[in-house]
Amino acid sequence: MAAYIVRRVLLMITLLFILSITVFVLFNLLPGDPARLTCGKSCTPIVIEQNRHRLGYDLPIQEQYFKFVGGIFFGRVFSPESPKPIICEAPCLGYSFNRHEEVLSLIMRSAPVTFWLAIGAFIIWITVGVSLGIYAALRRGRWPDRLVMGISLIGYSLPSFFVGLLLMFFVVIQWQWLPYPSYVSPFEDPFAFLQTMILPWIVLAILYAAFYMRLTRNQVLEVFNDDFVRTARAKGLPERTVVVKHALRAGLTPIVTAAGLDLAGLLGGAIISENIFSLPGLGALAVDSITNSDLPLITGITLLTAALIIFANLIVDLLYAVIDPRVRLV
Amino acid sequence: MAKSQTWLFRALALSVTAMLIAACGGATVTPAPASGGPQATGGPKATDAPTGPKPGGTIYVLTQSEQWNQVDPQRNYTGEDLAFFGGTLMRALTAYKFSADAAEGTSLVPDMATDLGTATNGGKTWSFTLRDGVTWQDGSDVTCADIKYGVSRTFATSVINQGPTYAVVYLDIPTEADGSSAYKGPYAVGTPAAVVGQDLYDKAVTCDGKTISFNLSKPIADFNYTVTLGFGAVRESDDTGETYGTIAPFLVSNGPYKIDSYTTGNGGKMILVRNENWKASSDGYRKAYPDKWEVHFGIDPKVEDQRIMQSAGNDAFAVQYGQIQPENLAVIFDDPDHTKAEFGARAISGFDPYSRYYWIDNNKVPNVKIRQAMAVALDRAAIRKNIGGEFAGAYADGLVKPNIGGDYKATEFWTSFFGQPVPDSGDPVLAKKLITDSGVAAPTLVFNFADTPTNQKTAAIVIDSLGKAGITVTPAPLEPGKYYSIVFNPETSGDFGTAGWGADWPNASTVLPPLLTQAGGWDLSQLDDPAVNAAVDAALTELDRTKQMGLWQAINKKSAEEVNTIPTFFGLSQTIAGTKVGPLYRWAAYGSWPYGEMYVTE
Repeated sequence: MAAYIVRRVLLMITLLFILSITVFVLFNLLPGDPARLTCGKSCTPIVIEQNRHRLGYDLPIQEQYFKFVGGIFFGRVFSPESPKPIICEAPCLGYSFNRHEEVLSLIMRSAPVTFWLAIGAFIIWITVGVSLGIYAALRRGRWPDRLVMGISLIGYSLPSFFVGLLLMFFVVIQWQWLPYPSYVSPFEDPFAFLQTMILPWIVLAILYAAFYMRLTRNQVLEVFNDDFVRTARAKGLPERTVVVKHALRAGLTPIVTAAGLDLAGLLGGAIISENIFSLPGLGALAVDSITNSDLPLITGITLLTAALIIFANLIVDLLYAVIDPRVRLV
Repeated sequence: MAKSQTWLFRALALSVTAMLIAACGGATVTPAPASGGPQATGGPKATDAPTGPKPGGTIYVLTQSEQWNQVDPQRNYTGEDLAFFGGTLMRALTAYKFSADAAEGTSLVPDMATDLGTATNGGKTWSFTLRDGVTWQDGSDVTCADIKYGVSRTFATSVINQGPTYAVVYLDIPTEADGSSAYKGPYAVGTPAAVVGQDLYDKAVTCDGKTISFNLSKPIADFNYTVTLGFGAVRESDDTGETYGTIAPFLVSNGPYKIDSYTTGNGGKMILVRNENWKASSDGYRKAYPDKWEVHFGIDPKVEDQRIMQSAGNDAFAVQYGQIQPENLAVIFDDPDHTKAEFGARAISGFDPYSRYYWIDNNKVPNVKIRQAMAVALDRAAIRKNIGGEFAGAYADGLVKPNIGGDYKATEFWTSFFGQPVPDSGDPVLAKKLITDSGVAAPTLVFNFADTPTNQKTAAIVIDSLGKAGITVTPAPLEPGKYYSIVFNPETSGDFGTAGWGADWPNASTVLPPLLTQAGGWDLSQLDDPAVNAAVDAALTELDRTKQMGLWQAINKKSAEEVNTIPTFFGLSQTIAGTKVGPLYRWAAYGSWPYGEMYVTE
């Protein structure tokens, strides 16, 4: 197991390394001139070149990359001509001249918002999705099954921007049941936190729960037909034991896989929900960075998101062994 | 089986109940937040109208922007930002009068200075004397040295960028061989003074007690307008260079408010509170009615519209920074001149700062009759419909826009120049006649445009409408991000293309020289006509403002008749405010709300 984890971590570092190079190359292939974007209306070629130099975009791409990597380990100094140069301590993921803040600091400020958004939605959709999926499977072909599958179909068909705007217009603006979302930490004001997050959670959960209802129902039904479940029932085990200890455990593996990856994807930012509900999360930050061709920020967020997904893959693989004893990690 | 399923019901019921408690509980118990969200008591009827100025309260500014473009006197450059900061935090030597009338709203009044400045040396030296009692937020006086230092920052182009550079262009400081100023700004620490050029700057900008003088390289008749843009004061001891104004320690105010907090991104806010050291006696300009300003960033534009349309709770005290979304225009307006009764005067459609036009390379299309034929043939009605219809803009008759004030006078190009009106949908018959009169064959022209879906449709209209007059147009779309870098170079540009321009201050000196002379910097039409250059120079140096207006009007009319460019639309934008805030009008100086005199009514 230990050797497996070490190998996976090494692979993760390699993947991040390759990804960081890819992001740098892709950004340089994008249309537009980031130096021109930092320059106002009365921009002259001289000023554009000065800005290009200041931002380091005049350096060969490999040198830009090495400076970026060097910053992670040794820190960097930006705008040395300024009366107060910007000192970015290691680990320095860069400095956003658009937001006037270190990339790591921006990410660290946004990440908790996205974390709570993802975790809250995850708990709701897993609870509702898996519960209703199992419930439908246990009543296969009967009206509760059809009802759950109908709900699932509707939930799956509703785009999150539509549900989000609908809830915002009615619940917040029209009926004023909830105040306009304004993110606060759950440790600072738990009640205001709940008031702000409940609608984004619901929006995200509706979409994902619909998928998990179907996935869970299908998995459970498939496992119900397996020999070991029939054997368990034949042995006279209580139905609850058959479902929980045998059928569910075996059927959970693909659900855990999907859940792990979905959660990791969400931790990289839920762009639509964050924007509709004005949540300062990673998704909104990513959109802003792309709009402004903010290379350091794009690179930082991309690497973080990739790291999360790779890490989630590792956790999912490890969980396999816990859930299903037949799986051996080597 | 039935018993075994009970636990499932319990789990399901528990999770659903938890959600309901969270959702419903907040609505019934929680008081309204101190700032931001709607209050439980509900809002006023949408038809409630502001009743008059009233000190106190909070005005909310809602914007989809993630942050201010700049919070720095030397980098602040967009109209709405200039209007907001000018009204709250940053004083200038002169300012624009608050008025709903375009001519009055673009006229100057003294701000930090005692008057509108004195021009001597034939308009090459301008002096302003600071009035008494102008202070920073810590109570210390704003001095001549503070203004001189602030202006000097503009020269540090490697640190202070994105802002206006009129100080660099106008002050009497020599340039290097590469065109950059010999003065490198205040940050070149450790560099010999001769290289930095500090002595050159000290000669160009001098302080004599409370009087600051600017020595210019050529006469500038409207330099007292120039000083509204990028000539603000910054105290050297406060200056943090690159980050000044954007992060803590925040910008040091000399206006009636100061920054209490500033966070960017979705959910970010800038909160301004009263500056207790600001003296109303030193400021006859700002009204400073509200106790507090809250700017809320990162609001979804659809949500922003709905909140202000609904105008409930604190949103009744909100103004929109930005534009009403296209899908809501028909809900709020009957047409750009008339709002629906339920929104009354709180929705406004007015000119934005921009004029849209098609540049024509006058060297590649030298025949004036051909250029006139292009203008006459163009189906401007179809193009306007394509870009958003009557809400997008009014038909332009020249480069100078009506909201610039006295420099605008109708050119009558479309109405009477040809002895007959030119329909908005174009007149191919008249265009063909002009081509015949030109004595040359109908040309084949290359049309440049930024490659977007809307522009692609516009290009199709251009090709079709000019084609009806016998002019063959070849489309040459360009990557949007590289458009201007390509069309500025006559070797890589086509024959004509799309462009837009906004005046930097309400004087045609920031429109016609840039667009019609090589020295101006935005001469996409590659015009270098000695007669135009001379006329522009004469207008620039004319110290009598009334005479200067006449000169600009004449140049604008002549340019329209010569079709150096094809003016297309004077841009419009629509915006809305809550029911308990006023006064609500589009301030022509910046195409913005008149922030410096705004108030809440309850």
